[in-house]
Amino acid sequence: MWIRNKGHVGIMIVAACLLLESWALHVVGSSPARWRPALAVQDEPTAHALYNAMIQAMREAQSLSYTSRCSSPDGRTCTHKVRLKKPGNLCVVMTNDPSTRLTTLASDGTYLWTYWSGDRSFLRVDVEDDYEQSKSNVYVKQAFLPEETSVQGEISCLGLTWFGPINDPSLFHGRVDPLESQMDGVRSRGPHRVRGEDFDVIEVSYLKARRTRYFWLSRQDHLPRRIKEIVRVAENKVTVEEWSDVTINGEIPQKTFTWSPPEGWRQWIPPVPEVSLLKEGQEAPDFELQSARGGEIRLSDYRGKVVWLYFWDTESAQCREEIPALQKLYQEYKDKGLAILGFNCTDNRRIARAFLRENKATFPTVLDTSDVATGLMHIGYGNRTGLMPLSYIVDSQGKIADAWYGQDQDPDRILDILKKAGFGPAR
Amino acid sequence: MRAWELIKETFFRRGYIWIVHVIWLVLYGSFWWLMIPEGDEFGRFIFIWGGFLLPLALSAGIFGDDVSSGRICVLVTKPFWAGQLYLYRLAGLALQAAVHLALAGIIVVVLHAIMRKGRLDHLGSWLLATWLLFVTCASLSASLSIIVGRAFNSLLLLVIVVTGYFVVTLLMAYLRQQSSGGVLMSFIRYAWPPFELLSKFAGGEYRQFSLTVGRFSLTKSAACIVHSLMLTVGYSVVGIILLCTREFSRVRD
Repeated sequence: MWIRNKGHVGIMIVAACLLLESWALHVVGSSPARWRPALAVQDEPTAHALYNAMIQAMREAQSLSYTSRCSSPDGRTCTHKVRLKKPGNLCVVMTNDPSTRLTTLASDGTYLWTYWSGDRSFLRVDVEDDYEQSKSNVYVKQAFLPEETSVQGEISCLGLTWFGPINDPSLFHGRVDPLESQMDGVRSRGPHRVRGEDFDVIEVSYLKARRTRYFWLSRQDHLPRRIKEIVRVAENKVTVEEWSDVTINGEIPQKTFTWSPPEGWRQWIPPVPEVSLLKEGQEAPDFELQSARGGEIRLSDYRGKVVWLYFWDTESAQCREEIPALQKLYQEYKDKGLAILGFNCTDNRRIARAFLRENKATFPTVLDTSDVATGLMHIGYGNRTGLMPLSYIVDSQGKIADAWYGQDQDPDRILDILKKAGFGPAR
Repeated sequence: MRAWELIKETFFRRGYIWIVHVIWLVLYGSFWWLMIPEGDEFGRFIFIWGGFLLPLALSAGIFGDDVSSGRICVLVTKPFWAGQLYLYRLAGLALQAAVHLALAGIIVVVLHAIMRKGRLDHLGSWLLATWLLFVTCASLSASLSIIVGRAFNSLLLLVIVVTGYFVVTLLMAYLRQQSSGGVLMSFIRYAWPPFELLSKFAGGEYRQFSLTVGRFSLTKSAACIVHSLMLTVGYSVVGIILLCTREFSRVRD
């Protein structure tokens, strides 16, 4: 009876529309991967066994070849043709699509050669002036240690392609993925049928879900055919790697892995990352950026104190180890003229703040992912490769006293540097 | 009968409409023929041309012509409910778009079969997203047409969207870290024709690049479609209210 009234029908339709729209806005606007601790997966033994089977399948193969196509939502894609053979042979031919310029990494077990078809691209480590002189007919030669050298690391550090393969081809040679020690767990996401083939999908999370990988594992050979990686930094970065033409234990001619430089070519030694850092005596660029605790941090406010400016992120194992030690130092010397200033411009704010809380780190930290902050780190402070951690000691006059990458294990050296910068209690 | 007449009228009301359809179809074919694009490149092309520019061309003066000529007074005379006029005309545009996009799909598939080049990735999703964008833009343009005389509704919408795009891009560069930037982005994303959401849906971002696997990507795609349809309903309701409440003059302006 009630529904016969036209007005009521109208109200019901409006209410239904509003409900539907609220639901749509809620779903569209929500970010399921907005980081929260609960995203870290609980380990499921059966799913973990699938992960182990994948690693084992890679390690036990005598030869392995596949084509990996990596893509990101912004439409960039790059292709890696990977050929691997035991012991210690590898050849990875890469290209940023649709470019025809090929970058090749090849090794016959002793040296790792990197060379280009045509002029090489401008790499992350390049210096503008030197690039023109070293772009043509050059190659890079370095020692290759099959169980230690990371192909993925080489590609990422030099910036050989837009993005390196998610699954490091070096796993084939027995290298252990350094993220494995930071794995939260593996869980099954059930079976999935793609183009007529059945896959087991597993989800692996690392570093309390700062990074998550999904593997579509073939039931035939346990190797992945698709890997999706979500890195929860300032914004969620999603990369998808798809494998095709997978051949296990097929014949790969040895000449694939051997390369010798053609006549007229010369060896190019990429500049070490330290080259671009600020030098002793240079003015430390001032900044006014967002603090982890709200408000702003200005470097010039610390004039008169020796400042240890520490660029860090939560993914670096060295940073994770060093930050508690820095906190100790901060507690001891904060009233004696030493300021410790953290600088994080890469991490998701929630992740970084949770990390600081867990480590009870109370020293002031810049937590700002704006273009200004990242530009300051990459250009102002010369960290072009984005390696972490990076330490700068700034003296009381605001001049650079020292700079180095990595975790410094030697307390005496640190004390010497602080002393040189004019820090009193270290004397 | 009346409904069918009104639907038909959207096609026959101006002589250039069939020419627009033909030109657009030739454009799609030429783009495919000359560029041999990846599926998503073609998808983006058809999304803008078919989803945004086509409704502007087809809805130019859809009510404005009648308002300017005074014919609207005859059309909205009782017992004819003015809302019907709006709905059937919008249905006419939506039907034209559906046929147009079906033809576009056939052309591309035929070209693909002949040339054996290019990729048809997500073509179906792009066509659906294009149709959804078409109806959203068509309803907005039709509603504008009630208050803007003659065929200026399309021109106005084109200018607003193009200028808005550049202004918002510039503003966002400054407001990125501020909360007002978020508010502005939300307004653009949810209250304007859903270019971003539908292109993400069609491009497979909610599938391949979704932030998880499984059901969520499907839900998100469905939510995009629902939101797009609700926007169409919203714009149409505004248009119908305007049509029902505005006093029209019989005098030709």
